[in-house]
Amino acid sequence: MTLLEVDRLTVRFRGLTAVDGVSLAVAEGEFVAIIGPNGAGKTTLFNVIAGSLRPSAGEIRFAGRPVAGLGAARMSQLGVGRTFQVARPFGSLTVRENVRLAAGRHYLANPLAAWGRRGRDREVEARVAHLLAVTGLVGLADRRAADLNMGGLRRLEIARALALEPRLLLLDEPAAGLGVDGIRPLAELIRSLRSQHLTVLLVEHHVGFALSLCDRVVVLDQGKKIFEGTPEAVRRDERVITAYLGESGAGEGAMSGGD
Amino acid sequence: MFIPSLVNGITMGSIYALMALGLSLVYGILRILDVANAGAYTLGAYVGVTVFRLTGSWWIALVAGAAVAASLGFILQRFFYVPILASGPIIPLIASIGVFTALEEAYRLIFGPYIIEFPARVPLPDIHVAGVPVRGVQLLIILVAVVVLVGTWYVLGHTRMGLAWRATAQDAEVAQAMGIDARRVTGWNFLLGYALAAVAGVLVSINYDAVYPTMGDMPAYKMLAIIVLGGLGNPLGTIAASLLIGLVETFVAAYVGFLLPRDSIAFVALIIILLVRPQGIFTRGAVAK
Repeated sequence: MTLLEVDRLTVRFRGLTAVDGVSLAVAEGEFVAIIGPNGAGKTTLFNVIAGSLRPSAGEIRFAGRPVAGLGAARMSQLGVGRTFQVARPFGSLTVRENVRLAAGRHYLANPLAAWGRRGRDREVEARVAHLLAVTGLVGLADRRAADLNMGGLRRLEIARALALEPRLLLLDEPAAGLGVDGIRPLAELIRSLRSQHLTVLLVEHHVGFALSLCDRVVVLDQGKKIFEGTPEAVRRDERVITAYLGESGAGEGAMSGGD
Repeated sequence: MFIPSLVNGITMGSIYALMALGLSLVYGILRILDVANAGAYTLGAYVGVTVFRLTGSWWIALVAGAAVAASLGFILQRFFYVPILASGPIIPLIASIGVFTALEEAYRLIFGPYIIEFPARVPLPDIHVAGVPVRGVQLLIILVAVVVLVGTWYVLGHTRMGLAWRATAQDAEVAQAMGIDARRVTGWNFLLGYALAAVAGVLVSINYDAVYPTMGDMPAYKMLAIIVLGGLGNPLGTIAASLLIGLVETFVAAYVGFLLPRDSIAFVALIIILLVRPQGIFTRGAVAK
């Protein structure tokens, strides 16, 4: 079953077309990566799917219903959990509070329900504890989120997104800012999510990292989709190699670098 | 002179805290200074005295004043502030001064320019503290303030609603991605902020037995000084700053009142703070953005 369907989506900013008629579909349980050189429109496309940007044209359907322009709060309530490219923790809250916040969203909608629901509170706390364990943050749970290092922040981003119990997990460059030492455990964490049949859409600048994780890859260049297929096929595709060559002059090197 | 000043200072500080807290909550989320909040203080007093004349009950008057003012706050934010937020912080500030002036003129037209008496009797007895009489209404003010402020501290620190508030104040975009509806948080914020100002207005007008159109003038500008002292958008710092200003004002007026007028003290403190510690007295770390 198709969970996410992006149909001829276009986003323009004052004459600049950041995303140009892109269509793609993500099936339930699938892991799709969107890659492309700098300025290809990856992050713009991602923000439209997450609801924080309104498309200029085209439609997005999530679980069959049109959702373009609904806004980020509504999208997260519908089951789209996202991480941010530049880690954005609530720095003055503890790591646990950061996760708890996302885990409690169902009854945050009604603030008067904040009191007296002990049963649900326990359920939420159990889920928070589980997520902290899964993402390896247990030891840091009661630290201020602002004190985490880059690897910890990346994990917190994922823990928060998972706390929303998303049907679709959107990962926005989760490896950004990490060295080789940080990338390997992160890849393992993301792989373990796969085994839970989570549907994932990953936007990544780090090509090797993305290709090692996904089932299918979509390549954007200058706002247009130039390739869609398996990670094996993408390494041999002429247009893709040209797009990366144009950017970095590294060609095959850029395509095979990383993991 | 010490004990009466202490009691008066705490009473004034309680009133300031009720008013400044609402303003501080609004600043925390929207980053705007809402001068019109003091219009809710006067509105609460007028609705309160009107309802009191109809029912003879001080607490129905209090609840009615808070409810009407809360509605005003909700309507103002939804149809007035939120649409102009994108234009930066200065335009909402100027607009709020305009709203405040318009509200005062409306009160003058509807209720007349004269002082209206508010002769409510509160159910608390006049007592003596160390031989000094404390009026029942002063006790009520302190009691209401303590209940409201402890309640706010609890809600902000210990409930999911408070967690949502703190998260939205810190980064509204991320909070939305976590499923928190920033519009709702904003709406609740204004309901609460305007209700608190109205409660202060009703209590003050019972205390002084007077309601008049311009009674919000002094609080409107003094509250701005207080929330800067407390560290903008820091609710607990705001409460502390309110008590501090209430006490300092009263003691200066009592002991060295010939030096400067009482209502100028908050602004002298504001100037000193802006020079010495611009992040506010009660905020740790660097200057807030």
